[in-house]
Amino acid sequence: MLDFSILVNYFDMFLDGFKVTIIASLIALVASFFIGAIIAVMRITSILPLRWFGTAYVEFFRNIPLVVIAFFFYVGTPALGLEFSGLTAGTIALAIYTSAFIAEAIRSGILSVPKGQMEAGRSSGLSYIQTMRMIILPQAIKIVIPPIGNQFINLVKNSSILALIAGTDLMYQADLISAKTYVVFDVYIFVALFYLVLTIPLSTGVGYLEKRLAKSY
Amino acid sequence: MIAFEQVNKFYGDFHVLKDINLTIQDGEVVVVIGPSGSGKSTLLRCINGLETTSDGVLKVKNIQVNEKKTDINKLRRNIGMVFQHFNLYPHKTVLENITLAPINVLKQSAEEAKKTAMYYLEKVGIPDKASSFPSQLSGGQQQRVAIARGLAMKPEIMLFDEPTSALDPEMVGEVLDVMKALAKEGMTMVVVTHEMGFAKEVGDRIVFMDQGRILEEEMPVEFFENPKEERAKVFLSRILNH
Repeated sequence: MLDFSILVNYFDMFLDGFKVTIIASLIALVASFFIGAIIAVMRITSILPLRWFGTAYVEFFRNIPLVVIAFFFYVGTPALGLEFSGLTAGTIALAIYTSAFIAEAIRSGILSVPKGQMEAGRSSGLSYIQTMRMIILPQAIKIVIPPIGNQFINLVKNSSILALIAGTDLMYQADLISAKTYVVFDVYIFVALFYLVLTIPLSTGVGYLEKRLAKSY
Repeated sequence: MIAFEQVNKFYGDFHVLKDINLTIQDGEVVVVIGPSGSGKSTLLRCINGLETTSDGVLKVKNIQVNEKKTDINKLRRNIGMVFQHFNLYPHKTVLENITLAPINVLKQSAEEAKKTAMYYLEKVGIPDKASSFPSQLSGGQQQRVAIARGLAMKPEIMLFDEPTSALDPEMVGEVLDVMKALAKEGMTMVVVTHEMGFAKEVGDRIVFMDQGRILEEEMPVEFFENPKEERAKVFLSRILNH
């Protein structure tokens, strides 16, 4: 039987960590979406230097471990005169890391819209930007929602990386509680439940959105 | 007026269009025929700049299409295009498909654009489908919507890229009828097609292409009765005698 007294006695610590996890995830989620969208557009533009930058960005950040990026911003950047708290460093790392995956999802969504759609828009006199905005992106979004939803769920779970760099998140607090109480099993079960409280509604929400969009036309 | 002067086009090493010289007058209906891969569609797509030319001069209404300073979006307002696979916008209703460009390019009011759209939907025979989505229509109906979408911009030139090739045989007639009516009204039309009946009946001129070259340019009667080029004779015998 789980020892609920731990949950009750240390509820404030759990809650503090939970709040930090929510805040870091939310900020990283919004930031990674915008960075990802910009990088995705760079990757499909015909302006070569931008395209190269976008490709390099994705290949670099997608192919190194998140911990390495987090440590870079926590213990690496002070050498350059930039000092971040564990929370800030971890959130930046999360945003950058996730944005590389989101960029790929958005890019493949845009590319999966048939070429004829762009041609139809352009041949009617619409500009490239107008066609993108009114014809391509609304169709791409539908394709992109499931993979982006998965990235957001990964992001919430990956935020546990903050614990390694004193980010005071849920996982960090759990480490403290288990060190204090010598209870390991129960503490991490509670932590898992806290994460589920975030990720299950997120995946249900994505599923709902997916269904609604599928019915839209 | 559309004028090709010594136009060439390459895809890498592949020479798609070879020394094209062709003039199309206002109000003329020119039908481009020839075997697959002969460059017909590429030729058509150069006219509204969907394809670039490698060298030579291509002018539409005296404006050079492939010139950096040419406002291609402005030129395209005047050139409607109908595609083999319709390319309707699946996330928009029939009405929205037709009014999108008039509202966003010509800056018409929604009301004005709707009126124009309904006029053309009436004309292509499916006003009752205005609020349907493209996926709810048959191929023939979708292509008629695509024609109405092109016409709603009130272009002076209409380009048709194999408009009936993706249709069920039963649907071909309804699309060709709309095109015939359009030709009668004096629209300048360039039509890439395999419909020889249409070419014969409606075309003012037949352009026969093979391997990137225009081999023959002739009045329909003359072309079909008396093709001069050996390649054209073979092509016609293959598609007409079976």
